[in-house]
Amino acid sequence: MALTLFRGIHTRPLLPYSSAFSARKHVIFCSMQSTQTETSMKTKQQAPSNFTETARAKAVEKVLKDYEAIIGIETHVQLSTTTKAFCGCAYTYGSQPNSCVCPVCMGLPGALPVLNSKVIKCAVMLGLALNCKLSLSSKFDRKQYFYPDLPKGYQISQFDIPIATNGFIDVDLPLEFGGGHRRFGITRVHMEEDAGKLLHTGSGPYSQVDLNRAGVPLLEIVSEPDMRTGIEAAEYAAELQRVVRYLGVGNGNMQEGSLRCDVNVSIRPIGQLEFGTKVEIKNLNSFSAMSRAIDFEIARQAELYNQGQADEIVQETRLWEEGSQKTFTMRKKEGLADYRYFPEPDLPEVVLTEEYVNGIRESLPELPEMKRRRYEEMGLTMQDILFLANDVNVAEFFDATIAKVPDIKLAANWIMGDIAAYMKNEKLSINEIKLSPQELSELITSIKSGTISGKIGKEILIELMKKGGTVKGLIEEKDLVQIVDPVEIEKIIDKVIANNPKQLEQYRGGKTKLQGFFAGQVMKESKGKANPGLVNKILIEKLNAKS
Amino acid sequence: MGTRALLLLTPAFKSDCNLLNHFTKYGFHQTVRQQEKLFRVGVRKFSVHSSLERPNVARLAETARISLTPQEAEEFAPKIQQVVDWFGQLQDVDLQSIEPAIRPDTEAGSFREDNPEAFDNREAIIAAIPNYEEPYIKVPKVLNKD
Ligand SMILES: [Zn+2]
Repeated sequence: MALTLFRGIHTRPLLPYSSAFSARKHVIFCSMQSTQTETSMKTKQQAPSNFTETARAKAVEKVLKDYEAIIGIETHVQLSTTTKAFCGCAYTYGSQPNSCVCPVCMGLPGALPVLNSKVIKCAVMLGLALNCKLSLSSKFDRKQYFYPDLPKGYQISQFDIPIATNGFIDVDLPLEFGGGHRRFGITRVHMEEDAGKLLHTGSGPYSQVDLNRAGVPLLEIVSEPDMRTGIEAAEYAAELQRVVRYLGVGNGNMQEGSLRCDVNVSIRPIGQLEFGTKVEIKNLNSFSAMSRAIDFEIARQAELYNQGQADEIVQETRLWEEGSQKTFTMRKKEGLADYRYFPEPDLPEVVLTEEYVNGIRESLPELPEMKRRRYEEMGLTMQDILFLANDVNVAEFFDATIAKVPDIKLAANWIMGDIAAYMKNEKLSINEIKLSPQELSELITSIKSGTISGKIGKEILIELMKKGGTVKGLIEEKDLVQIVDPVEIEKIIDKVIANNPKQLEQYRGGKTKLQGFFAGQVMKESKGKANPGLVNKILIEKLNAKS
Repeated sequence: MGTRALLLLTPAFKSDCNLLNHFTKYGFHQTVRQQEKLFRVGVRKFSVHSSLERPNVARLAETARISLTPQEAEEFAPKIQQVVDWFGQLQDVDLQSIEPAIRPDTEAGSFREDNPEAFDNREAIIAAIPNYEEPYIKVPKVLNKD
């Protein structure tokens, strides 16, 4: 079931469906979905068939009866600073290759790095949001390796004294995957710089290098090996993305590579204390890919165990291939890489004062977990909570709507129903539609007070989302005020009955189903403005009256 | 120079006290304080300078991607050994009563605001690239990182 739904994400990765049923279904994956505008990179490829998905789900389920999977995740978050970490080059995704470069990020001799203070701010924000202990003094180190995307021959990173350690992140698993609350440990968060981009496009003996990204600030977040299933891992990553977006420290876009996850997976027979050999998986471009890759890897390793070939599980890096839905060996690790770390002599120690940290702590926004718990206290269902809190902009829209009209359930229904459906169809985010939270609350008030009918409300909503304007303005302009005067409704009903003598005869002859026909005609005659409750009440009286 | 010497030294450091082996993927359970202590303990362990391993010049050259002839390697060995011995002397200094520092410098916090500043001689940088084909830098085809 769970995995079949992932197939849904894969092929139709966007917004909720319009029908009530699908809108509910959307919640399943909304919490793992990256953004509303992101499309899955591999949509062109054939999605796995239902059959294989179900088979895989069953295989993993079976495996987990005998084995325990141990999953840890390393995540790189690109920070949305204006400039790079150690030089004043402005970085924008998609710029002309090799245009945002200078002697510092090109690693030219004599160039000296100077740390961007915004990087520290972002690191402290994320460290606090992940409930970490902050190191009031930390330092940078050089991690040496040779690769063409690394101009200096070393990456400036943090080795033995990272800026933040020992934290945790709280996650609510989607109901469709069994639900439940989980807490996953965060080992450390450290600051480092990104490398450039290497392209292997041409068929010639050359690779192409673009150094725009070289020196762009990253935060690396290392989790404890606390996850046990692909779903848990994907939810961990999705929550990290939410935190990054709520804080505004990065855009968390997986397709652009602004959020990159490398996953370590090992399995061990249940009851065994020592860990199995862990395998690293790369090339995970979406949360669903992460979940599927992990499940594949668990099943692959279990198969080797079952066949007495556990020694064939070796420490290696495997790549996830979306097309075949399999992982493949990228390289075997022969001994641990020797990065010859040593303290970066060109950068001073990073010292944080208590006041600085407290200032940031006090200015932190409400985080996803806090929001979910608040929504829970307000009485929303977990399904609603996960939908609304998934996207920080949707959550803010919801909060602004209920600030004026405290009808929480109605506001949630409008946002998750008609508004989400419209956003999906038009491929717009909630900030791009013309409707403001103020007008949504005005709309809800107008319906509750009976000024307009629910049906008219839906029509006005579309207008508001498309063109903007105010509820009051539209009601006046289009003369949409609901007819609640029984005398006026009676007049319309009389007219409709007079115009349909044949149907009246049939009704009175026992075909009472025709009441719906009459009600429809009355609504049509009143241009949808007649109060439906009154229409039905008066209509029944009239139809059943002996003339 | 200090930097270079340290760089050459690191492998010896590693094999001697397993300092780097304390760092594993999930090995950062200790708090920073504990890490510092660990580090200090590591250093203490070295304070007998005779325990420093002789540098393996061939391996150092390999990790630095430098080609050395056997003659050159033989020539370098005693020079590198001298530097190693010099560090051995430094480690003999009694620091029991000294508060450890993360960095040797005292001035901290010279940061930059997040304001863009374009480098105005990009052409010169691009012109200095040995193999450039607008808009990319060309390098021999590489697929695996090690
Ligand atoms: Zn630069």
